[in-house]
Amino acid sequence: MTTTVSPPQARPESESETQVRQNWSERLAPYAYIAPFFLIFAIFGLVPLLFTFYVALFDWNPIGEHVFVGFDNFNRLLGDTRFWNAAWNTISIWLLSTVPQLLVALVLAHLLNHARLRLALFWRMSMLVPYITSVAATTIVFAQMFDRDYGLLNWLLGLVGVEPINFLQSGWGSHAMIAVMVAWRWFGYTTLLYLASLQAVPRTIYEAAAVDGAGAWKQFRHISIPSLRPVIVFTIVTSTIGGLQIFTEPLLVTTTSPLTCGSARQCQTLTLFLYEQGFGQFQFGYGSAIGVALFVLIIAIASLNYVLSTRIRPERG
Amino acid sequence: MKLRRTTPVVLAAALALTAACGGGGGSAQPSGDGKSFEFWSFSGINQKKTVEDFQKANPGVQVKLTEVGGSTETAQALTTALAGGKVPDLVLIQGDDLPKFVQQPQNFQDLRQYGADKIKSDYLDWVISQSTARSGEIIGIPTDVGGMAVAYRTDLFKQAGLPTDRDEVSKLWPTWDAFIETGKKYTAATGKAFVDNAATSVFYQAVNQGPQKYYDPSGNVVYATSPQVKTAFDLAIKTAQSGITARLSSFEDGWSAAMSKGDYAVISAPSWLLEQIRNNAPDTKGKWDVAKIPGGAGNWGGSYLAIPKGAANPKAAWDYISKTQSPQGQLDHFVDSGALPTTPSAYQDPKLLGRKDPFFSDAPTGKIYTESLLGLKPFLIGPDSAAIGQEFLNAITNVEQGKGDPAKAWDTALANIKTSIGK
Repeated sequence: MTTTVSPPQARPESESETQVRQNWSERLAPYAYIAPFFLIFAIFGLVPLLFTFYVALFDWNPIGEHVFVGFDNFNRLLGDTRFWNAAWNTISIWLLSTVPQLLVALVLAHLLNHARLRLALFWRMSMLVPYITSVAATTIVFAQMFDRDYGLLNWLLGLVGVEPINFLQSGWGSHAMIAVMVAWRWFGYTTLLYLASLQAVPRTIYEAAAVDGAGAWKQFRHISIPSLRPVIVFTIVTSTIGGLQIFTEPLLVTTTSPLTCGSARQCQTLTLFLYEQGFGQFQFGYGSAIGVALFVLIIAIASLNYVLSTRIRPERG
Repeated sequence: MKLRRTTPVVLAAALALTAACGGGGGSAQPSGDGKSFEFWSFSGINQKKTVEDFQKANPGVQVKLTEVGGSTETAQALTTALAGGKVPDLVLIQGDDLPKFVQQPQNFQDLRQYGADKIKSDYLDWVISQSTARSGEIIGIPTDVGGMAVAYRTDLFKQAGLPTDRDEVSKLWPTWDAFIETGKKYTAATGKAFVDNAATSVFYQAVNQGPQKYYDPSGNVVYATSPQVKTAFDLAIKTAQSGITARLSSFEDGWSAAMSKGDYAVISAPSWLLEQIRNNAPDTKGKWDVAKIPGGAGNWGGSYLAIPKGAANPKAAWDYISKTQSPQGQLDHFVDSGALPTTPSAYQDPKLLGRKDPFFSDAPTGKIYTESLLGLKPFLIGPDSAAIGQEFLNAITNVEQGKGDPAKAWDTALANIKTSIGK
């Protein structure tokens, strides 16, 4: 070595000065690391969000005038039967899809976690197939299965002498139909989340329980569910947020009136109503007001959910 | 579930971005070379062929064609583009979407600067008046009109003991009431549905047949009091309740499937619908024919070519319009595709009158559709016409599907329209 390369020796600074500088950069570093996310979030998340609040106060024609109307859009929204109809549809579809989906996922995860399961990897991976299938493809296939005249389901019902059911035209039928599509797409994903958590539970606990005479149900109830508590809370919150924003399925389920999801708006969800008003009728102000209402609704229901689901606690004693 | 969570953010972002750039529109200076331009059109109307023919006839010209989607999607994309400022040079707009744009003419080039007022008289006056703004700007040149007729299945009519010759069939239904009566005879004889649905095949036709639809000539909304609208609505409700419809909404999957299976025998067909029948039910070739519409005359549909204000190559775009949409250009296009010209001078041309359509038992479609136009009484289409029509259509469909009370359908429709458009 002819020359030295270690910089601290080359600098005539006192140790304490270096210390301070290092402290500063050490303190700032984490913020720099997380900055990209927050910058991008600010540009694509926060600013549009705030701008939506702003636009909601206008009668906003995208290719014409913007007239300030104060809270008129919100007043109109509260008296708009189409809004309440869409809100009810959204909640109905969300409940019909989320509750069965989470229950099925819970049971499946428990089964897939079984120690003596053969071909475990195959079963676990195949859970993800619906999730990676395009939503549009899933929707089109399901819509054809549920068709009134030529659908597979009504053909099967016809074999046992049941009159064809007009799923799409009826309120509950269209909700169930969309709920099936949503649940189908997400149950595998949820199952894998649960499974991953279950695998973190030491086998010895199950073995010990089995030795103590606990059957499958008791193991499920007293070991699996309590140890899954954090991830259950997580899935409930995320599926609430997702469920309240169901959009693609109702948009694609009818070809004739996509923006209203049927002639009586029987399966129009809030996001679809937003899209209809904003991008079908081009009432940007009113569309933004719907967006704000949706935002408030999601925050409210997600908080309620959080409070309720934190009550699933490990049994004590 | 991160994917699900991003949806609203994307929506909100799109809403905000498009809104943020709104109002400005069109500061770009025309800087084109006159040789290439960007063209937004609908999918499914074979625009590619017209463009290719044009490029063959005009070597050196480059047309960048984008088939955006259906007519509604194209209008939506155009609105977003106008708000955002990045626009195509040429765009196709469907008639029902047009009034919203005509009301904001500052977003488009006034085609009079290229000589549109000199060729104005080539076109049906009530058609070009729809693309003329209140202050006189001409923002669109009409490419085609729909006309009206009824497509029917000769084989199924024969089985039902009805005449099959197109003149005799036309005589079966001079009025819509006679049309419904014929339907009852057909359904009684065969046990099958006569017509696809009441909303499109009856209401959308009948409502387009009088001098006044949803707006009066000075632009006031009169849908609630217009006798023509009420008559058409009542006819459709009567049809919906008569048991002669297949209860299949136009363009849905079941509608297409039933068409090839012969589950209904009649569809009201503007000229542009013939292409859909050909595509949806290719196996039924030769089994169809075309008769006159009850009431004799009317128009449904038609499109316009417009040049946005901020277009980079407006001259090249106008060159395309003036060459392809001349009376001769529209006539050639009719011979190729069956799209009905908007230039009345073509209506007496032997090429138009003599064109026979083998898919529809050699029906002289040019003659049938232009006759339906010549007896037409034009009406004003307004900015909310599409929204109003959709609500009436929904109310009729609800009755047809057994979900709506026929006695209350009219009032429900009026209430929904009022909620929707605010007047």
